[in-house]
Amino acid sequence: MHAYLIPLAWCALLVVSPATASERDSLARETTGDTIASIRLEEVVITGRNYPGATRHASPLPVEITGKGFTREDFTGNFARALGRVPGVHSMDIGSGFSKPVIRGMGFNRVVVLENGVKQEGQQWGADHGLEIDAFNAESVAVHKGPASLLHGSDATGGVIEITRRPPPVDNRVVGELVLLARAMNGTVGGSAMIGMKRGAWYAKLRYTEQHFGDYRVPVDTVIYLTRRLPVAGRALKNTAGMERDVAGHVEYRLGAYHAWLTASNAYQKVGFFPGAHGVPDPARLEDDGNSRDTGLPYSSVNHLKVTTRQERGWERVSLRWDAGYQRNYREERSRFHTHYGTMSPPERSPDLELAFSLDTYSSSLRVTRDNGREWEQVTGWDMQVQRNRVAGYSFLLPGYDRLSTGLFGLVTYRPDTRLSISGGARYDRGRVEVFPYRDEHLEIYLREQGYSETEIARYRWRAYAVRRDFDDFSFSLGAVLDLDDTHLLKANIGKGFRLPGANELAANGVHHGTFRHEQGDPSLLPERGWQVDLSYSYRGGAWSLSASPFLAFFGNYIYLKPTGEWSALPHAGQIYRYAGARSLFAGGELSLGIDLPLGFSYRLSGEYVYSRNLDDRSPLSFSPPTQARNTIAWEKSGFRLHAEWQHIATQRRTAKNEDPTNGADLLHAGVTGAFSAGNSNVEITLALENALDKRYYNHLSFYRKIELPEPGRDLRVVIRIPFK
Amino acid sequence: MKTISCFNICLLAIFALLAAACGDDSDNTKPVINLIEPADGDTLHIGDDVHFEMELSDNEELKSYKVDIHDNFDGHTHALSRDTEPESVAFSFNKTWELTGKKTASVHHHEIVIPENATPGAYHLMVYCTDAAGNEALVARDVVLSHEGGEHDHGDDDHDE
Repeated sequence: MHAYLIPLAWCALLVVSPATASERDSLARETTGDTIASIRLEEVVITGRNYPGATRHASPLPVEITGKGFTREDFTGNFARALGRVPGVHSMDIGSGFSKPVIRGMGFNRVVVLENGVKQEGQQWGADHGLEIDAFNAESVAVHKGPASLLHGSDATGGVIEITRRPPPVDNRVVGELVLLARAMNGTVGGSAMIGMKRGAWYAKLRYTEQHFGDYRVPVDTVIYLTRRLPVAGRALKNTAGMERDVAGHVEYRLGAYHAWLTASNAYQKVGFFPGAHGVPDPARLEDDGNSRDTGLPYSSVNHLKVTTRQERGWERVSLRWDAGYQRNYREERSRFHTHYGTMSPPERSPDLELAFSLDTYSSSLRVTRDNGREWEQVTGWDMQVQRNRVAGYSFLLPGYDRLSTGLFGLVTYRPDTRLSISGGARYDRGRVEVFPYRDEHLEIYLREQGYSETEIARYRWRAYAVRRDFDDFSFSLGAVLDLDDTHLLKANIGKGFRLPGANELAANGVHHGTFRHEQGDPSLLPERGWQVDLSYSYRGGAWSLSASPFLAFFGNYIYLKPTGEWSALPHAGQIYRYAGARSLFAGGELSLGIDLPLGFSYRLSGEYVYSRNLDDRSPLSFSPPTQARNTIAWEKSGFRLHAEWQHIATQRRTAKNEDPTNGADLLHAGVTGAFSAGNSNVEITLALENALDKRYYNHLSFYRKIELPEPGRDLRVVIRIPFK
Repeated sequence: MKTISCFNICLLAIFALLAAACGDDSDNTKPVINLIEPADGDTLHIGDDVHFEMELSDNEELKSYKVDIHDNFDGHTHALSRDTEPESVAFSFNKTWELTGKKTASVHHHEIVIPENATPGAYHLMVYCTDAAGNEALVARDVVLSHEGGEHDHGDDDHDE
């Protein structure tokens, strides 16, 4: 635990000084006549906090920090999956390659991921789209649980995951690291190399990451798809192998009160789809092809290019910060041409291109911070984002759209003394969404052949409706942080979050090939709105640490997919599911307890609980995370750490309509980390054994849950970290 | 330490209270489909009607059922394959029946008719059933459409439901 509490003093002062560092200086002047004989500085106390400490104290919402530990026992090479270890955070998995985070049961685009101050775009496209972040490049991560719409606008209803980079070294030098990863479950072999150079005011850094993995191994011989049992040849899911290649470059300049950076990164992933869960299943297509490392059709590839820049300047009482970013997210799914309609023939160009999405995002955010040098601080901000999404392919899933959103906010913080801080603010957002219609002529002909009336055909032929909507909304937040002698930390916050409906929620009309449902948008949907109360208490004293963070959220309008009971005329579809708003309630929290025992032993217990309810339908909401507890016992001595963990996952019986319950499990994990010096480097080796008892269990939030595809069995991971200076 | 454990207990009490206060009262139980005919792997005769037989039940109230039959040519990638009979048309069937007000239903009919020009080959037969609350059940079967053989009595079929 103390590993990531290593004071990063230099960074702390820079990052924190306007926020929490308190300066108490008193100047006593002794003057004789009109000349100053002497100046006696009585006492200058500058208190700084390390980065995790400062971040935890700065926000009235519960915050969890994963620092260096992120690249140790929990590190799997997948960013969202590693975050699943944080209490209150889960990962929604889409096979071995793609995952997205869920905070306290709120997922999809209810979680904002910020990398270096810019909102990551792309993962919100749909249920089966992951998060394109290089896990090796996430040097420090802060999870803010609770609504943060005030600072981040739409989408931050569930929380914010903030990825920041380690600060540059203080003196001129070259730094770097090499991280190697191997994983038995799917034969992952990967590595990441980073080199950074500091020269005076300049700092430059380059990182390259590559990972290759084979077919996903599961402890079962069959899966269930469309009520049929399909074989899993050799207990490995055929064609789920893939690879990831990421490059990132960063240049930074800091002179006096001026600070600027430019970061460019490109993340590429290519992952095969299990043919048993894509299209119509057939045992013939699931026969072993003799190669567990190839990626054939069907597969998906994503390329995420991101360029971000920051300009920052401080004066005596004012500081100015401007972040700008451009992101280009290109995703395609390739699958051999297939259709339900006899009139459709394969396209001449790229006949295998089933779906392609190309999303361009331009964003800008301006912050002006003013303080009176004492107890008041005021932040004013202006955010703007422009998005342009275009689609292609012989199939259709999500429409093309243009979206513009802009918001203005003010946040005031009052610190009467060093222990108490009260902050509150308001924000106004405006948004415009224009969704482009898509007419499916082949479907039209098919329905006519089936004998449907023209009025009925008119209801189905638009796979996306033409929608043009303007939205506006207010957000509020009021919170307090009370810090008693660094042992007791008490936080309270009430905030309102909102989210603009997505293009699919407004305009989709057709079978989603991932959920196998006819999903229909509602062009008249109102924005999602909810109020949340958060409390958190943490105690740190002597050998004990304790924290509890309960929350209660009420949504006047929570958007969900509602079964309508109306049959769809589309082939392969049951009833129509329509996006609708409902009054909903979320409640729960996290609890953790840590004890430092004698002889280098320590014990930690952490648990989490989420209750969700759709008040209109009088039933739970879908994807409610199960109650979970982790008991960890560790032994640490001179750079050597040994741990064993018992993870208890409760059975989730609280399910939405047409969602199956998921049985709980008891899992045993273990790990060992050792550090030793080799040359002038301090090499760190981690061996992690997950699911040591090879239990078959299911993740209630997994995309493959519905085909009864379990989580991986026994898995051994090796991470070798070689830093150099 | 005392205050801490007190806080702890309070917290658990709040959670327990919340869980108890809002018991779920909506019907989330799916209807049950027992599809007797056609059985998995059955051959259906082109130009004939289909002997369709099943038992449906729900804990509260059934609403409707739907039968969807579509081709499953060429290893299930839905690719076009009509080399054998270029003049034929892939058979596609999509029809719904109302069951409102019933808790159980015995269905037996010959309303599914396969036209003479249907392309022979592998097909999927899917039966969907909904209840009044919107819960949905599904059964999928592999069937073969052929000019030879076809509808005859299957005394003891091994259904997997």
